[in-house]
Amino acid sequence: MLFYVVIYDIPCDKRRRKVFNLLEGYGQWVQYSCFECVLSEKKFEELRRRLKKRVKLDEDSLRFYPLSKHTRGQVETWGVGPSVREFPGSVIV
Amino acid sequence: MQTLYVSQQGCYVSLNQELLVVKQGETVQAEVQLPLLEMVLVFGNSQITTQAIRACLWRNIPIAYVSRMGFCYGRILPIERGFRQLARYQQQLLAVERLQVARSIVQAKLRNSRVILQRQNRRRSSDTLSLAIQSLEYLIDKAGEADNTQRLMGFEGAGAAQYFSAFAECLEGNDFVFAGRSRRPPGNPVNAMLSFGYQILWNHLLSLIELQGLDPYSACLHEGSERHAALASDLIEEFRAPMIDSLVMYLVNRKMMDVLNDFEYKNGGCFLNNSGRKKFLKAFLRRMAEEIDTESGKQPKWDLLNQQVKLFKQFVYEPSRLYKPYLIR
Repeated sequence: MLFYVVIYDIPCDKRRRKVFNLLEGYGQWVQYSCFECVLSEKKFEELRRRLKKRVKLDEDSLRFYPLSKHTRGQVETWGVGPSVREFPGSVIV
Repeated sequence: MQTLYVSQQGCYVSLNQELLVVKQGETVQAEVQLPLLEMVLVFGNSQITTQAIRACLWRNIPIAYVSRMGFCYGRILPIERGFRQLARYQQQLLAVERLQVARSIVQAKLRNSRVILQRQNRRRSSDTLSLAIQSLEYLIDKAGEADNTQRLMGFEGAGAAQYFSAFAECLEGNDFVFAGRSRRPPGNPVNAMLSFGYQILWNHLLSLIELQGLDPYSACLHEGSERHAALASDLIEEFRAPMIDSLVMYLVNRKMMDVLNDFEYKNGGCFLNNSGRKKFLKAFLRRMAEEIDTESGKQPKWDLLNQQVKLFKQFVYEPSRLYKPYLIR
């Protein structure tokens, strides 16, 4: 399990919407064009594979920053917005 | 990985892009991320849209329909999952491998029972408790040496007798009398709660076994028959004491159950009535939702069941590594 920060800059509204929808399935939306995901290697691979189909790399820009456990513990958050993403557990409704 | 339990009534599960949205009326109860989802359990009357079902099927996420009592009506699985290679491996397990696993299951059951008694003994020690703890200790050793399942079942029975005689000591107050385990039908309120609790747990295990694609009729300790899903009976053993017995103890000692109004007598036995069942289920669900530390981070207790079913699956694929039952500390 690794903690990834995914940021993107996509000028086209339609493509940005698609990327947003996909990332929502894998992580937590923390700011405009910034997601935090806790993923296994396999799931991260899957996310990248699916993302690739939704972007145009000559116009868009995406960045993936993996954080080690150590650095993740030192993450600071200021101001409003959700807390740092934890490993998602089961959901009981 | 996560499981979605829809235990409230009248929920409506629909698909929104990469999310399953669980609504109750107009309120959104939960949004679950499809790519991270492992399975869906629907208790009682809730709806899932076809779109959501299809999205789950695409991703190999099984959906199980379970009654509020925990009985599994059936499940939705993608076709691909339906091939029963796993069940074939299960049938090819050797007698030795089965016996070894049966032994460790019985040992784990006795160990967990002993831990529950030890905890009580620390709170309020008594001779009966110490004696039972000692004989359980002895039986755990004996069970490790048993060379066939009959003898193993013998040790298990002896252990259970010791354990339940001491269990009576742990119940406080005069309302609930418990002289020993009686079942089919349960003879008094304590037995009624135990039976009901085991029943829910057993059914839940059966659903999980089905969802993993294991054959529930082929087991190690219990003899399977066309009507008896023996694997569920095997896997429940290690959970009886820590999940149900301790819950019953808690409900009795905290005076949360009403001996006059929560039970009914019929068919020569004692059963929980509507209000009693509700109270018990509520407490049970609350307890099973408590989060504990597991290998994959903080998870609700429910997950322990799934973990054990998966461990059994691993054992079937790789029998030489044997099955490791659940042990409380």
